[in-house]
Amino acid sequence: MKKAKQEDLLSALESEDGIDRAGFIKCMAWAGTGVLWMMSGGSLKSFGMSQLLDKDTGRLKPGITLPQADFSFVQISDSHIGFSKPANPDVTGTLQAAINKINAMSSAPAFVLHTGDLTHLAQKDEFDTLDQALKSVKTDRIFYVPGEHDVLNDGGKGFLERYGKGTRGQGWYSFDKEGVHFIGLNNVFDTSEGGLGTLGPDQLAWLADDLKGLSSSVPIVVFAHIPLWTVYPQWGWGTRDSEQALSLLRRFGSVSVLNGHIHQTMLKVEGNITFHTATSTAFPQPKPGAAPAPGPMKVPAEQLRALLGLTSVNYVGHDHSLAITDTPLIVAP
Amino acid sequence: MRHMLINTRARIVAGLAVAVTIASWTASSAGPRREFVNLKVLPKDVSSKTLQHIMIDEFEDGLGVGCAFCHAGQKGSHQLDYASDAKPEKSIARNMMRMTLRLNARYFQVRRPGLGDPGLAVTCQTCHQGKPRPGE
Repeated sequence: MKKAKQEDLLSALESEDGIDRAGFIKCMAWAGTGVLWMMSGGSLKSFGMSQLLDKDTGRLKPGITLPQADFSFVQISDSHIGFSKPANPDVTGTLQAAINKINAMSSAPAFVLHTGDLTHLAQKDEFDTLDQALKSVKTDRIFYVPGEHDVLNDGGKGFLERYGKGTRGQGWYSFDKEGVHFIGLNNVFDTSEGGLGTLGPDQLAWLADDLKGLSSSVPIVVFAHIPLWTVYPQWGWGTRDSEQALSLLRRFGSVSVLNGHIHQTMLKVEGNITFHTATSTAFPQPKPGAAPAPGPMKVPAEQLRALLGLTSVNYVGHDHSLAITDTPLIVAP
Repeated sequence: MRHMLINTRARIVAGLAVAVTIASWTASSAGPRREFVNLKVLPKDVSSKTLQHIMIDEFEDGLGVGCAFCHAGQKGSHQLDYASDAKPEKSIARNMMRMTLRLNARYFQVRRPGLGDPGLAVTCQTCHQGKPRPGE
């Protein structure tokens, strides 16, 4: 970021958003995997902020306050209900911990996005368990997109019967909230070869049509399971035809892309498009290339919940601010 | 094609493949159930839950591979032809499954061993340790 723009943003933060300038500058010097997203002057900026969180409580450290939001929403991902291996023998328990975090928020999120792999083996009883757990979330609505684990048995028929009402094609859809346009995409129905996700021509044509009438100043939030940017193709962590989707999105001043699948927080900013992947509520995976292959990573039990979590997003309409916080499932003392 | 077995998935499955493919639905008291075809080692009445558990938790995690390691691709598509026996790895996988079951029965006195059973003494992971070929 150029220094002048950075100063402008910091000034704006000081004057209106309640973030302490010294604290903010300090946070920018920290390295971490969490992220604070701010939209200023129509362009989205991102800042590492995992160190803003108290490692013992998972909450923001004293003296640092997030902007007042017009509305907020939460992203959870990769619940893998049914998984029972040593990496986490109680995935329902850790999902419940994420739900408890949501329900403990000072104001209830407008909605929750689940970015796929709700289940581990796409079994009816696994979907039932997830549904039962999510009934306790204090929010108006939960939106879903499938992960590849959710479509294992029947090509996604069961998933779409449960969660696909009102969607188009194989489950893609869009909706608007407070001037922000949200787009849910399905990139797991054709992922066998090499593990990469695919959107397919039908979905891309629908996306082009969906975006056609929108002004370029409308903030866009896209959510899908497999990352829409190439994280690590050797492990299938990317979407083979994502560039076609991104080319449709580049004219917009602010595009935020939220994904799951890789079970860890990652961030990439490419022009006006910011990509963010969320942690899982079930188990962590190794960093790209850090292991022979992706898969459930067993860590000492006391470290597990620090590697799981949820993502909350605050949107401020009057000053075009979007703040995203990754919160681990650490239990408050 | 009415239904594709296992369907697509990223980073998923499978290593040692089982010859599975297209299926048809039949009703049962436990809900919809698939009848898998071209199964030569796994029980022909294997449930989808057991099959997916073997593919994902045993093969994928045990060998660190995806479906395409054993399953051949469909012509003109990114999708896989799960019924096809075109890839030699699939034949090797069947032999590995037979070997694993025999080792458990003969040397570890596991009665009526089945792939994916929690009581197995020897599994894919025992030798593969997350790699397609042990010792690499």
